[in-house]
Amino acid sequence: MSRPARRWIGLLGGVVLASGCQERLTGPAECPALCPGGSQTILETVVTAVFGADTSFVGYVERGAGSALLTSNGLEGSSAHAVYRFVSREDSVVAGGVKHGFVVDSVLLALNLVARDTLVDGLSVQLYRVPPETDNTTSFADLEVQLVPANLIADLPVADGLRSGALSVILRGADLARVALPPGTGGALAIGVAITAATPTGIRLGAQFAGLAATFTSFVTVNDLADTDAEKKQTLSRVTAFNTFVTQSTPAPDPSLLLVGGAPSSRALIRFALSPALLDTARIVRATLELVPNGPIGGLPSDPALLQSRLVVADLGAKSPLDPLRILQDTLPIGSADTVRFEVTQLVKSWQASDIPQAVFLQLVPEAASFTEVVFGSTRSAAGGPRLRITYLLPFPFESP
Amino acid sequence: MRRILLTAVLLAAAPAVANAQASQFGVRGLGIPGRAISTRTFGSGGAFGMFDPESSINPVSLAEVKLLTATFNGLQDFRHEETPSGTASLRESRFPQVVVVGPLRRVPAALGVSFSNYTSRDFSLASSATIDLRGSPVVVTDTFSSRGGLSDLRFAGAYRAGDKWVFGGSVHIITGSTRLSLVRSFADSNFLAERQRAEVSYTGVGVDLGIMRKFGQRFSVAGLIRSDGHARLDLDSARVARVDLPYAFGLAARWRVGSKLDLAGEAVVRTWSAANSDVLEQGGVGAENTLALAFGGEFTPNPRRPTRRPLRFGVRYGTLPFPLQAGQQAHEVGVSVGTGLRFAQQRAGVDLGLEQVWRSGGDFSERAFLVAIGVRIQP
Repeated sequence: MSRPARRWIGLLGGVVLASGCQERLTGPAECPALCPGGSQTILETVVTAVFGADTSFVGYVERGAGSALLTSNGLEGSSAHAVYRFVSREDSVVAGGVKHGFVVDSVLLALNLVARDTLVDGLSVQLYRVPPETDNTTSFADLEVQLVPANLIADLPVADGLRSGALSVILRGADLARVALPPGTGGALAIGVAITAATPTGIRLGAQFAGLAATFTSFVTVNDLADTDAEKKQTLSRVTAFNTFVTQSTPAPDPSLLLVGGAPSSRALIRFALSPALLDTARIVRATLELVPNGPIGGLPSDPALLQSRLVVADLGAKSPLDPLRILQDTLPIGSADTVRFEVTQLVKSWQASDIPQAVFLQLVPEAASFTEVVFGSTRSAAGGPRLRITYLLPFPFESP
Repeated sequence: MRRILLTAVLLAAAPAVANAQASQFGVRGLGIPGRAISTRTFGSGGAFGMFDPESSINPVSLAEVKLLTATFNGLQDFRHEETPSGTASLRESRFPQVVVVGPLRRVPAALGVSFSNYTSRDFSLASSATIDLRGSPVVVTDTFSSRGGLSDLRFAGAYRAGDKWVFGGSVHIITGSTRLSLVRSFADSNFLAERQRAEVSYTGVGVDLGIMRKFGQRFSVAGLIRSDGHARLDLDSARVARVDLPYAFGLAARWRVGSKLDLAGEAVVRTWSAANSDVLEQGGVGAENTLALAFGGEFTPNPRRPTRRPLRFGVRYGTLPFPLQAGQQAHEVGVSVGTGLRFAQQRAGVDLGLEQVWRSGGDFSERAFLVAIGVRIQP
């Protein structure tokens, strides 16, 4: 190929590169005057839940099985106390293959504060020693009688600015008697938790389920070993073996209402029946689930729970399998009695052109680990039941040509 | 055998690449008509279209081909639109023309196959409005997009009857589709954007006849008559309409002024108004007849080496068939230049064409700068 030819090819190549096979096609327009086809029509409709087919079910997460434990001092007229029971600490340790007794030098008790209302000052957490037999059958009244000054282990003041974090106390000397585990008693330590504050409030403490439960650590000196022995000083750590909380009042579910939250936790199943036109041809751009609370939504201010709406894969009532991916959630406004509007567009669109049941399951997050408990009106309520407000487009009449 | 293979490869590739320039004047009806011309003819305003065997205007031009030739053309446009809604600078690249032509051995005839753009419907229109939703004003933005158009697969032949007359004919298979979409988005994020799609496919068959008369070595006249019948339209696989396609009547003349200068001019009338009632029935604005005029030339600095950097130039004027506003037929004016180079013992070549086009119709106007590049091989 000659030099001029090469130059020309180079020039053309440059032009091609400069042109760059680029594409930018979007220009301004006034539609529908210019756009081919007709106008885009947008409509709105309200669909009420199927009468009598909205129900609450209780018992999904038991008290103490959630991610946090509740403790309060009269919040919304009810108190709550958390309870931890630690793994037993034996009265001897093995050193050099031989069991030895030990002397406790100090003890560390540590809890995790998950949430509190930072607007309440003067918060203090009291740890009481309670019988190691405390379990799920223990009532609030049974525990309350144990939370007396004689059983007080420690009183932990909480800084007003601390919203979450570790709370701990180290006991030494004579204070060790409060957590003493004499030989022959089984070695299990259980503590009950109470709080005091300037006004009624509550805190959430870490629980086993979340890996944030309290710990009990003993620093001991082993008997009969030389001071130079590396095993002379030992640390005996004990994690929580059991935890729960008890509440002063537990409202009885009203079958004519929809209860969501609480402990044991409740969930609500709401069924709808969209018209064939909505299911087949409507282009849904927004669907809002409207729920009317039966009263102000209770809970700990500044620590609201999330309301989750989940897609029901098959309608089997309380045990309906739920889609693990299609989960929508929003924060519940504590103290508000206004209608709760919850965007569920993605879920409602899933009902179109599929056999998925036209139903949603409502639950709180965290379950059985929040002060929030909400009661909504049902289709059997005078105040009105759940309804869907749907905004949708009609199919666009594309021009041809 | 290699030639046949090459031809087959080029034709197989053609349907995937054929397309043409975009324009806001392609929004209505079947779109903006394409120009089935090579880059070489592009540089001279399209004036040599009826005499250029690498263009697909008139089958008689095949008589000019001496060797099996394949050409591939690319087109890049840079447009600036002005509309009542605002202005926009846009660009697009397309491949509007692929041609394979060659002479027969024992008879004075030639055959050719080409794949060209017939009409183009490449555009995106964005509009915005405020509407009342759930008692509150919400800003909505609609983007209406179309990609595709009609393509023309041509099988053509030409026969040379002596030194003066050439006759030709073609069969055109008109096919293609446009993919339409409308996206509505909302400023309020609680409303989800929604995309709606549709696909319109087209099928049709056309024929044309051409004739050329040579008056000595310097002057030729060519004529064309073409009928494209009608196109059947399927919307998402359902037959929805039939649109009559135009007749075309063309006349062109070529004059070799001297050894260095070659001039040509052509005029083509297309009866697009045949589609008017069909377009109106489908909700369109209508269709009108069109006229295309072109004049151009090719200046050869060195007559001994006519393929070495010739200078091509041309002007053209045309009306467009599908108005954006009723009664406001759009028109376009273009000025072009071009050149080219042959190498590898004239068996390969590249051509370059540049054109500035002004289009206007009613309240709408645009100017476009087009860059065409053609690659030509004679295996």
